[in-house]
Amino acid sequence: MAGKLTKLLADLKESEAIEYVNNALEKGTDAGELMTEASEGMGIVGQRFSSGEYFIPDLVYSGEILKGIVELLEPKLKGDKQKEAKKLGKVIIATVAGDIHDIGKDLVVFMLDVNGFEVFDLGIDVPVQTIVDKIKETGASIIGLSGFLTLAFDAMKETVDALKAAGLRDNVKVMIGGGQIDDQVKNYTGADAFGRDAMDAVKLAKKWTGGN
Amino acid sequence: MPETPALNSLDIGKTPEQLFAERKQRISDAVLLKQPDRIPMFLYMGYMLAQMGGIKNKDLYDNPAKTRELLVMAANRFQPDMIVGAWHTPKPSEALGDRMTNWPGVGLGPEGSFQFVEKEFMKVEDYDDFLDDPSDWAIRVYTPRVFKNLEGLSMLWPLGMWLYGYYNTLNFAGLTAPPVVAAFEAIQKAVQHTVEWIGQLAASAQELAGSGFPPIPFFNTMAEAPFDFVGDTLRGMRGIFLDMRRNPEKLLEAEEKVSRMQLKYAISNSKILGLPYAFFPLHKGSDGFMSLQQFEKFYWPQLKGMMLKLIENNITPVVFYEGKWDDRLDYLADLPKGKTVGFFQNSDIFKVKKVLGEVMCIIGGMPNSLLINGKPEEIRTYTRKVCEEVGKDGGFIFSTGVMEMYGSKPELVDAWVDAVREFGVYK
Repeated sequence: MAGKLTKLLADLKESEAIEYVNNALEKGTDAGELMTEASEGMGIVGQRFSSGEYFIPDLVYSGEILKGIVELLEPKLKGDKQKEAKKLGKVIIATVAGDIHDIGKDLVVFMLDVNGFEVFDLGIDVPVQTIVDKIKETGASIIGLSGFLTLAFDAMKETVDALKAAGLRDNVKVMIGGGQIDDQVKNYTGADAFGRDAMDAVKLAKKWTGGN
Repeated sequence: MPETPALNSLDIGKTPEQLFAERKQRISDAVLLKQPDRIPMFLYMGYMLAQMGGIKNKDLYDNPAKTRELLVMAANRFQPDMIVGAWHTPKPSEALGDRMTNWPGVGLGPEGSFQFVEKEFMKVEDYDDFLDDPSDWAIRVYTPRVFKNLEGLSMLWPLGMWLYGYYNTLNFAGLTAPPVVAAFEAIQKAVQHTVEWIGQLAASAQELAGSGFPPIPFFNTMAEAPFDFVGDTLRGMRGIFLDMRRNPEKLLEAEEKVSRMQLKYAISNSKILGLPYAFFPLHKGSDGFMSLQQFEKFYWPQLKGMMLKLIENNITPVVFYEGKWDDRLDYLADLPKGKTVGFFQNSDIFKVKKVLGEVMCIIGGMPNSLLINGKPEEIRTYTRKVCEEVGKDGGFIFSTGVMEMYGSKPELVDAWVDAVREFGVYK
């Protein structure tokens, strides 16, 4: 059941959404409830992005509106936080060593998150060992490697090789993405699959975790 | 490394002077949408040069003599019609304490690859100052933010005061402040490095010409789509995307400012150089970044306006359509015929030919990944298809999609250039 806040956020009505939250809090509405509504709104933003209605500027804007809402809600959330929905699976995302591009990676993180995955975003220029350590720490079953430079193909290959060397390769599925990535690059790096956009990443992650 | 000249029977017995003239003609025919004797090829070697020479990426800048030698070797091996080696040099950036770029050996390991570091160098609250007096804001606020060693420029008085003639000289004591002096010294150093690099480029061009390879006229004057200009070096991607929602009027006003300023620059620079081309690397207007509605409001009219103005001044815009432009090709089809050149990275090159074949000379066609991990036979088959379909009737220059060939295997590049000589001859 979509609440008013869900709709305002989904429609990117920034000032109205903030005003609504302020009024609701004044009237004593539970902050946790508002948070859930906001999350649902972000879910709709994700759907609209998938369907081609929204584009990157709209996603960036939705994130900014959410930030404003969370700032208002956070002090009122009494430790219980928002009810943690059951997550579909754990995914580690990183832009590989030597590459600092973050746009594509951030989109994938956003889309996986709003689609119910627990995402560990390791950032950009991530050394191979950091990824290996994070798999051991979290038990994540999916790794997403991002890279824009042609140089990133080698770093992706090295990362996949390191997973093999650490005996982790059979436990994880590896997907890669970035401007130049195609089937040739997938074969070169030894990844399981590649995606052309953030929606592909969600599809792959769902397939690998048995979702649909 | 042994030199294994590609299949080259077409050019046997020709002098470098003849080859030089033929290659130049081939390029010029393609640019004008004519059909040359065969499909011209353009190789942007980049860090592949270092790989072929067994040196580190960083060495390309530290040892320019070696870089020049490797470039001539690559040219002789692959026999393209145009060839480029290393993109610029980090030395000026190093002297200035540049926070906007990373280079192998400067901000990155010796095997790294040049990267642009996009930051919000202009904050949203700077819009009014920027719009009010862009030149003053550029020197006293923006430049010290981008270049660590130019922070002293923030101590200068408003540049407009130079309009005060004699009275302004009374301010000159301000130029003796140590941070200001240090900033001017850093600029001097950067100038020195730039001049040295240009000397290397000139020497390289001469060596290549001696082997029959003409210089490339396209890249000496650079400009950007107004939206990219504001996004890349001023507001950053996040900043400009939020401006589209929160400050659309100011963003459009800023685009107008940078558009006029760039036109002034591009027109005079191309005149001084005697090279009637302006290179536009596009970044944020491709498919996926923004909606067509946003594209029509913030991106295309401003870019097209600049292109038309340049064309009016007899300058040919050479536009690098980075990413995919498959959904936007109809806009490009509106450009005056034969007056622009389109360099396509990831767009469907066959579709590009269909929509734009009669509108602009097309550059591109070879996915880098095929030269990294393909099989020679696969490359031959693909090259044949591109030659037959995209090369049809001329107006096409074959090149990799990315202006960088790092990771390409020399023997696969051989397979490609051989296939172009086999299938790219117009009958």
